[in-house]
Amino acid sequence: MNTSYVGIDVPDPAIQKATRLGMVVDQNKCIGCWTCAVACKQQQNVGIGLYWLRVLTVGGDAMDTPAGTFPALTMSYQSTNCFHCDNPPCVKACPTQATFKMDNGIVNVDYDRCIGCRYCMVACPYDNRVFNWRTPVQEPPADVAVVGETPARPKGVVEKCTFCVQRTTDGLLPRCVVACPTGARVFGDLDDPNSEVSVLLRERPSYVVFPERGTEPSLHYLIRTGPNAEGGAF
Amino acid sequence: MSSVTTDTPLAPAVRGSRGLSLWIGALVVLILIGLGVWIYQLSQGLQITHMRDNVIWGLYIISFMFFVGLSAGGLIVASAGRLFDVKQFTPIVRLAVVEATVCIATAALLIIPDLGNPQRILNLFIHAHWLSPMIWDVTVILIYLVLSLLYLWLYTRRDLAERGSWMALGTKDTSDGARAHDHHLTYILAWIALPAAVLVHSITAWIFGLQISRGFWYSAIMPPLFISSALVSGLALVTILALVVRRTGRVSFGDDLTTFLGGLLAVFLAVEAFLMLSEVLAGYYPGIPTDAVHQLFSGRYAPGFAIEIVVGIVIPFVLLAVAAWRRRPQVVVVASVLALIGIFVHRANLIVIGLGKDPIALPPGTPLGTPLANGSSFAPSSVYFPSIWEFLIVLGIVALCALLFTLAVRYLPLKEKTPV
Repeated sequence: MNTSYVGIDVPDPAIQKATRLGMVVDQNKCIGCWTCAVACKQQQNVGIGLYWLRVLTVGGDAMDTPAGTFPALTMSYQSTNCFHCDNPPCVKACPTQATFKMDNGIVNVDYDRCIGCRYCMVACPYDNRVFNWRTPVQEPPADVAVVGETPARPKGVVEKCTFCVQRTTDGLLPRCVVACPTGARVFGDLDDPNSEVSVLLRERPSYVVFPERGTEPSLHYLIRTGPNAEGGAF
Repeated sequence: MSSVTTDTPLAPAVRGSRGLSLWIGALVVLILIGLGVWIYQLSQGLQITHMRDNVIWGLYIISFMFFVGLSAGGLIVASAGRLFDVKQFTPIVRLAVVEATVCIATAALLIIPDLGNPQRILNLFIHAHWLSPMIWDVTVILIYLVLSLLYLWLYTRRDLAERGSWMALGTKDTSDGARAHDHHLTYILAWIALPAAVLVHSITAWIFGLQISRGFWYSAIMPPLFISSALVSGLALVTILALVVRRTGRVSFGDDLTTFLGGLLAVFLAVEAFLMLSEVLAGYYPGIPTDAVHQLFSGRYAPGFAIEIVVGIVIPFVLLAVAAWRRRPQVVVVASVLALIGIFVHRANLIVIGLGKDPIALPPGTPLGTPLANGSSFAPSSVYFPSIWEFLIVLGIVALCALLFTLAVRYLPLKEKTPV
């Protein structure tokens, strides 16, 4: 059962046929409101203390503090979740093939097979994986929250962003993309030259995090422009 | 068990039998406590440890590395001694093989409490992923365990047969010819055991050294550095154990052997220092202030690094480098204990710095995995010190290791009877 948004949750066959699903985050549009992160937690029923998607404050000493010294201050945010790398170090590291790459480019986790050694977390250069140090606690409880059909996770397994695999298989957009109030998150097939993500990457300057490590992330950031332009949180 | 007393002058051990019972009793208590805490951990999850999403591995993995090193070091010393015919080693070569066998079993056990789902451990074999260094390590450790048991059995089976022990596993012939045959077999097996011991610790090093995500680990020097740490800690432990066991009369050798072992340990310490220098200098020279290497000298990792270098390398090296000091077994023991502490701290530093120095430099907004006392789930920085539960579980497994070693010393013939 999908909790559908009328007019937005329309299945897109292009997403179902995709061979390399990817995301583009427009740093000009992100306002750091955390709506994507909250929507993600609801959709995927992520336990307290765990975040598949989180919003980093760029530069400041603590969350929600500006970078720089007065009066030359800048305030910006960068949301981050699993980059679904084309050369994923976590998939290579996993001793039991519990983490695997799907044909559409999504890096997924088999919660029934994971032995909880956390080697994938060691291998991930981006800290985008989280571990269930205890049986996941939901607040409000799982039966009250808006819950997708994400499988329940036991304690002792690693989990992370799946690009909402249960929605994207149906051709729907990931929930964070739907929820973003400024439309900063764009989703589509990177292999399709006519998809919105491909067009944005052609027309606007962009970057991926740690390109020198050869992981080839499928999540790209469009560089922030204008008077407050500056680098990212990474 | 009357057969035990046939070949050794057991007077000291018999006198100490009450002490032995107390020792074994204490170990059993520690094992049971560890087991109880592990069951508690199974019910609560790994939240009872102080590992979190920022420091993913802790005391379990540190101890695992340490014990693989102890084992590899012991077997390298024993098999190299056999291969290159270093006669001085002969009185303690069986003891070294016992140490190697017991320590590798301990290392394998130490992995289990670290797993979030230990009941799924067979997935390592059913769904083995051969690109993962962890699968290489599981494989080589199991082979190595079998190999060291075989090695131990080859060394002792004729003596066991002489006593009529079941552990001879059907071996009957105790003639000089049969012993000479076994002596040759141990030589052949040493050819396999030496590279296996080198491999077992190299692969453990590659679990860390192949991960490009962790700059502090991603270095080609990891396997050689791990081997040198193994040689230092393995030899140090064998030396200490040999002197302890000598008091029971189950091995006998002169103080010239401890002098020899002390000298060898000094050489191993020098090699360790050289490899450390190579690694630290290569990290330090480019002068990138965010590199974790800089925190070794002035940052929060400075105290641990100082212990590693001063207590673990400099002091024992000086103690052992002076020939007059090296001749006293007490000095060799003190140096060995310090070297052991140094290597343990070295491995702890490696894990905590390697993981604590986050790849993305912990920008504000990095979750921990569980809420903090103040309700926040976000960590400003990474610190790790093991919880009491982690200590108790590790202590239980180490007690099991000590128990196995004690039983092996009690029931196995450790004195070499090489045919002339």
